[in-house]
Amino acid sequence: MDAIAVPSIACLARRAQRECDHHRVPLMGVMGAFIFAAQMINFPVGTGTSSHLVGGALLSFTLGPAAASIVMTAILATQALVFQDGGLLALGANIFNMAIAGVFAGYLPYVLLRGGRAGVFAGGVLSLLASAGLALMELIQSGVRMPRPALAISIALFAVSALIEGAITVAVMQALEKIQPGFIRQPRGMRAGAIVGAAAAGLAGLGIWFASARPDGIQKLSLDPGIASHARAFLTSPIAEYKLQLVSSPFLAKSLAGLIGLLIVYVVCLGLSRILSGARQLPQQEVA
Amino acid sequence: MRHARVENWSRGDSPIHRRHAAAKILAALAILFSIASLQSGALTGYILYIALLLLAGRVARLPLVAMLRAAAAVLPFALCFALVTALAGDRELAVRLVIRSYISALTAVVLVATTPMPRLIAGLEWLRTPRFLTQVMQFLYRYLIVLMEEAGAMGRAAASRAGALRTIQFRQAAGAASVLFARSYARAEAIHRALLARGFEGQMPVFRTQRFTIADAGLATAAGAFAVVVRTLA
Repeated sequence: MDAIAVPSIACLARRAQRECDHHRVPLMGVMGAFIFAAQMINFPVGTGTSSHLVGGALLSFTLGPAAASIVMTAILATQALVFQDGGLLALGANIFNMAIAGVFAGYLPYVLLRGGRAGVFAGGVLSLLASAGLALMELIQSGVRMPRPALAISIALFAVSALIEGAITVAVMQALEKIQPGFIRQPRGMRAGAIVGAAAAGLAGLGIWFASARPDGIQKLSLDPGIASHARAFLTSPIAEYKLQLVSSPFLAKSLAGLIGLLIVYVVCLGLSRILSGARQLPQQEVA
Repeated sequence: MRHARVENWSRGDSPIHRRHAAAKILAALAILFSIASLQSGALTGYILYIALLLLAGRVARLPLVAMLRAAAAVLPFALCFALVTALAGDRELAVRLVIRSYISALTAVVLVATTPMPRLIAGLEWLRTPRFLTQVMQFLYRYLIVLMEEAGAMGRAAASRAGALRTIQFRQAAGAASVLFARSYARAEAIHRALLARGFEGQMPVFRTQRFTIADAGLATAAGAFAVVVRTLA
């Protein structure tokens, strides 16, 4: 997952850097600190239990999805480094699940439903569902055993916490609108963002489906030919292929797969960002 | 303030504190890659890494028990999944999950406790992390405790007004969060104006730059070599 997370964030960072001028840097940093602080506020849920904001969707509605991804990445990195929350080994996966998939999956319904209460609620729900679904899939793929009841319980828990996140996001957005409507960004048709969001949501759905279909772990899928193994190769591509080929020497397989995967994704990403920046700079020059 | 302690440790002075942040990050990455790829039954490998990290803590004159305890913050999450795995019958994997995430947390503690945040960020930039991201992290870290204190103060104020009604309603919690949002936003704008008045151009100035010396390269190489040796032995 690090292999995917690192270059995507590098790309997003370049993109955010191009899109907004430097006055956004302090704002994004401080809003990241705000999310930390807001997580201290307890939202009572039912009797005796309470929950707190996760914030990916809220950030994407107020700062825009690209900026929200960067802020969430900074939050996760700080959490792992300073508070030992989540751990460094899971950092890549966490960034992919929450800062990329979570943020864009949350932004997708917001754009599709053109804001409004329903859009905000669906955004909050989907952002958490996408993150949780992906996390579950990765855990199972990394060999964590999930018997059927444990899986059912965790999916139910994820669903409930996703609904709560949706409710909290709606409540905070409504309160914000009363204070100052200018905080909220109107949903804009961002094609790339919508595609990433759809992909993330799809992946998460696929993850939950796989997890529930095959509780013994996705490793088993490599035995079946057909859609399942295709999907597996797609989900972990291009690393999966290397793992399969070099599986006779597991250490070599893993480290090589990691390195080569990183390299390939990085090069692809670099190329994409070149193309993107080239396409973007032209109209600007014309205006100037 | 759980965190202020680690911040104090990072201001100490020792051969490890003096090394370039990038060298320490590379060393930490070598350890992480290596433990991520350790095979089953390689308990000795894990023990060697814990010993190495404790040795580093000793050389850096860190309080070892407090260091071990700080790293334990990672455990609740890992234990949860380990328990499920153990119940499903794979006890060895469960143990490995816990040890692995504990060592990764201990690595992070040693890294952060021997490197002040501005240096750590300079090190990340030296390793070509996008500057936009590192600058956001810089500001996040600077105002983290300020805003957490603000949230705490708001909580105390609400508690003192609500008295015995300790359960704050859902809508009120949302109101508090949105007020905190507005205050953070206003603070960010004030910060930016103040920075502009001091000639800010998109990134914080670095007052003392560090050179990447031979000793730094040595530290990174030694960590890499240790990782390879443990890999082949265990």
